[in-house]
Amino acid sequence: MRKTTRAALLCVAAALSLTACAAGKGGGSNSGAAAAPGKDDKITLTVWSNYSDREYEEVTKALNSFKKKYPNIEIKHEGAQDDDKITAGIRSGNPPDVAMSFTTDNIGSFCSTGAFQELKPYIDRDKPPMDQINEAVRSYTEYKGNRCAMPMLTDIYGLYFNTDMLSAAGLTKPPSTISELLDYAKKTTKKAADGSIEVAGFLPTMMFYNNRPQIWAPFFGAEWDKDGKSALASSPGWTEMFKFQKDLVDFYGYDALERFRAGLGQEYSADHAFHQGKIAMMMDGEYRTAFLKAQAPNIKFGTAPFPVLDSKKSELQGVGFTTGTIMGIPKGAKNPGAAWELIKHMTFDKETIVSLANGIKNVPSTKESLSDPNLQVDEQFKTFIDLAKSGKLKGNPVTPIGDAHIKAVGDYATEWQSGKSTDLAAGLKGVDQQIDDQIAKAGK
Amino acid sequence: MTATLERVDVRRTAPAKGRSRARARNRFTVLAFMAPAIIGFVLFFGYPLIATVIFSFTKYDLINPPEFIGLGNYTFMWGDKLFWTSIENTLWFVVVVTIARTVFALGVASVIARLKSGVGLIRTLCYLPSLAPPVAATLVFFMVLRPNGGPLNKVLDFFGVDSPLWFSDPSWAKPGVTAIMMWVCGDLMIIMLAAILDVPQEQYEAAELDGAGPIRRWWHITLPTISPVLLFGIVNSIILALQLFTQAIVAGSAATGSADPTGSTKNLGYPQNSLLTFPTFLYQTGFRYFDMGYAAAMATVLFVISFAVTIVLVNKMRKSSHAEEGGPGA
Amino acid sequence: MTTTLPNPVVVAREESHAKPRSPRQILDWVAIHSIGLAMGLIFAAPVVFVLLTAVMSDDQAFTADLWPREWHWENFIEVFEKAPLVRYLFNSMLYSLLATLGMLLSSIPAAYALAKLKWRGQNVVFLLVIGAMMLPPQVVAVPLYDTWSSLGLTGTLWPLIVPYFLFDAFSIFLLRQFMLTIPQSYVDAARVDGCTEFQALIRIIVPMARPGIAATALFCFLFTWNDYFGPLLYTSEVKDQWTLSLALASFKGMHFVQWNSAMAVTLLAMLPAVVLFVFAQRSFVKGITFTGVKG
Repeated sequence: MRKTTRAALLCVAAALSLTACAAGKGGGSNSGAAAAPGKDDKITLTVWSNYSDREYEEVTKALNSFKKKYPNIEIKHEGAQDDDKITAGIRSGNPPDVAMSFTTDNIGSFCSTGAFQELKPYIDRDKPPMDQINEAVRSYTEYKGNRCAMPMLTDIYGLYFNTDMLSAAGLTKPPSTISELLDYAKKTTKKAADGSIEVAGFLPTMMFYNNRPQIWAPFFGAEWDKDGKSALASSPGWTEMFKFQKDLVDFYGYDALERFRAGLGQEYSADHAFHQGKIAMMMDGEYRTAFLKAQAPNIKFGTAPFPVLDSKKSELQGVGFTTGTIMGIPKGAKNPGAAWELIKHMTFDKETIVSLANGIKNVPSTKESLSDPNLQVDEQFKTFIDLAKSGKLKGNPVTPIGDAHIKAVGDYATEWQSGKSTDLAAGLKGVDQQIDDQIAKAGK
Repeated sequence: MTATLERVDVRRTAPAKGRSRARARNRFTVLAFMAPAIIGFVLFFGYPLIATVIFSFTKYDLINPPEFIGLGNYTFMWGDKLFWTSIENTLWFVVVVTIARTVFALGVASVIARLKSGVGLIRTLCYLPSLAPPVAATLVFFMVLRPNGGPLNKVLDFFGVDSPLWFSDPSWAKPGVTAIMMWVCGDLMIIMLAAILDVPQEQYEAAELDGAGPIRRWWHITLPTISPVLLFGIVNSIILALQLFTQAIVAGSAATGSADPTGSTKNLGYPQNSLLTFPTFLYQTGFRYFDMGYAAAMATVLFVISFAVTIVLVNKMRKSSHAEEGGPGA
Repeated sequence: MTTTLPNPVVVAREESHAKPRSPRQILDWVAIHSIGLAMGLIFAAPVVFVLLTAVMSDDQAFTADLWPREWHWENFIEVFEKAPLVRYLFNSMLYSLLATLGMLLSSIPAAYALAKLKWRGQNVVFLLVIGAMMLPPQVVAVPLYDTWSSLGLTGTLWPLIVPYFLFDAFSIFLLRQFMLTIPQSYVDAARVDGCTEFQALIRIIVPMARPGIAATALFCFLFTWNDYFGPLLYTSEVKDQWTLSLALASFKGMHFVQWNSAMAVTLLAMLPAVVLFVFAQRSFVKGITFTGVKG
């Protein structure tokens, strides 16, 4: 038995050192740019993304347009790869050459851990037109000055409203301030005799559909941090946001609201409450226009910038929330030089961006492609293009703790709206504390 | 003869002197039979366990080499509100799911055992749900329980009863997940059914002669006879509850309206962290917050606690079966 | 559709000889069968829901409208065009069959050693086997993935299959419990007859524990068949190696989900498992028990 134990220990030691090797072999250098591939190099670039089905086909088509520049490079695009998979690939030394992620929440970790290689040397060398990219989009692809990713298309969020319901309530134009939104929501709500909700003007329930703290924050001028500390309690925007939310919850009655909401359909099904005419207004991204047209042709809707806080109207008008797909070169990628060329192509090549944007109904991420005549823009989609052009977009706050800060606010918001927490100031201080603790622990 | 988890007492069968050759041969046989298992155990359990314990004393972001920080993760754990919430939730599940699943599976098996026709069909129907992939099973259940327009709601409406909000209500979310776990109890149900069917007919007949009704027969004959199966069911259910992950994630994301067929991890714990189970929190910490060191510390704590519980449980089972069966048999 | 699978063998085996005689017995019969039928329907109802969703149009799937407005049976054909399901099916079969085979080869001897041989440290080893089931798989996966990767085996199903040839805690536990119930006297008799332990295992224990072995094999097969986490981690970057359980990922995108296709694939994935269960249950239903042969 003793021998077995010793053998077992040896095995473990061997295996552990094996891992250490795997984790240690960093692959591609982090400093300095790898050379662009020569015209004759036969290279196969692997790209991992989380697309599937028709989106996957469109993205593959766009990736293959790269072959016009580099006929010698083959591209192998694997869909359905989530962030966990990318991390596992990097850790084990077998990452793709280009990784695409939808999770801009993770950018802080991707950059600060070196999971995605720093792109500065490449940018310094090639000087791509960075000013083509919206400032907010630039901010969600870097962390503390370390640019480790580039954007590929963006999502922009705004107000959707059911024009029939608004006009039935005698409202002719969409709300532009929060107090108008509150008023409109009350006017378009229909309650049954027993107090239950038949149609809700606007759902104030946090964490449902796209009611998420990071998406709402810009419209209230709510700031996440100040001097490197979480600053929710001292930013009046948050207090205003929670007050608005509570006002509307109280108007419906929490129990009635929850009963109504719990019965609503899934976001990505034809049963979405807006498709079904069960809500008059909502926050959503530009991609919804295509769904509504395909799945609910009877719903007449308009889009507009989301209403902003009354007291900061002039300052906040035209503001929008944006997020999007990001691309990076993972640590240990086999062909970083060629990968950068591909990323550059996907970020800056106007033709590619425009046709991809048309294909998957997202907003292009460079300024010139926003104005391109080939971009298919209808009345409803135009709102989002205009928001993109406004230059007042806000992105996700970038932290080294993934989306822990968003979860902290979301958790508090769900307690607050249910009436379980009543001391807003103390609650926000608690959230600040929680976020600061997390960030201190991450120590980056 | 017994069917128990009891210790095989070495002294009881102490070999007569001069049997050392037999002992050596015995040792060789054991080694030969256990060899693959020992190698596998070391590689796929021992090694990850040691790695996990080592990681638990480090700051490890999954990308860069772990950095030793002593007890840092453990002290942080002490003040971490979410950690305690997740412990509480998982304890709730361990108690309730274990009881509900075992009792329910036993009940279903007992009914099926008494059926005279259509047994095969009904048995297959009851087993069917446990064949469904967990994500799909959870989503389906979510839709069935849906408070507005779901089938159950329509039935309740008919009786004029307000359906609970299930996964949207922090006090109903856990019972909802428990219901799912009961619905997919088919494997346990099958094992129990077989055990019940195997209870010797003579015993029932004898009891019937003594004037025992069906309930008394079930209580005094069926139950004691199948008790080893019950114990297996309990251990099995505890492990299931400790590792409750997919169902909690899928139910939570569906309640926020963002269900997806592979299990979105966007809203871990929703509503109000009532579904934040220990494994989901651990996953979130390790992979969403890139803090594998802390996740490893949590895994270590979970392992120590559950291992301790196992030892207590197994010993208790051993003792109780001794009491029932009158000492180690076979 | 799966709910009406004929099951003649098993029905015939049950105690159909016991026809009700007195009015009270008839009442009993009606009561217990009503309960049984209701139970069966309740269990099956959500599966019927899956079927109904699978044949709905994309616009109706996952709405409050539960009865298909139109029946799109072609959805079952279309999913084959959307994803290479035959290939996935083959991979799933490969994974499940090899894993089950490996489990049987490694776990039967180990369970025998734990149940029927006497050796020092046996109880500790048994506790460790149970303990091995208690580490969260998400954490275990981190060091293991790195090891498999350094062996160059990620992107294949081998990291999932190989462990079964060595160690599967659940199966060892279950098999041990089965074997414990076989009276020691049978094994002793074999030894007296001059059997080696190996012969005793093959000639006495394996035949006697057949129902238990069948059940363990079935559970192992079904677990691997429905395994999502493992294939996702190890094979998701190589589409050729995907299993049927991963196919669900083909039907969701950044901003869409095809519920009808997802449910159609769910049903298709369940089908082989249901068939297997229907045929396999006869080999163990009358005998999976820890009490085994009564003295």
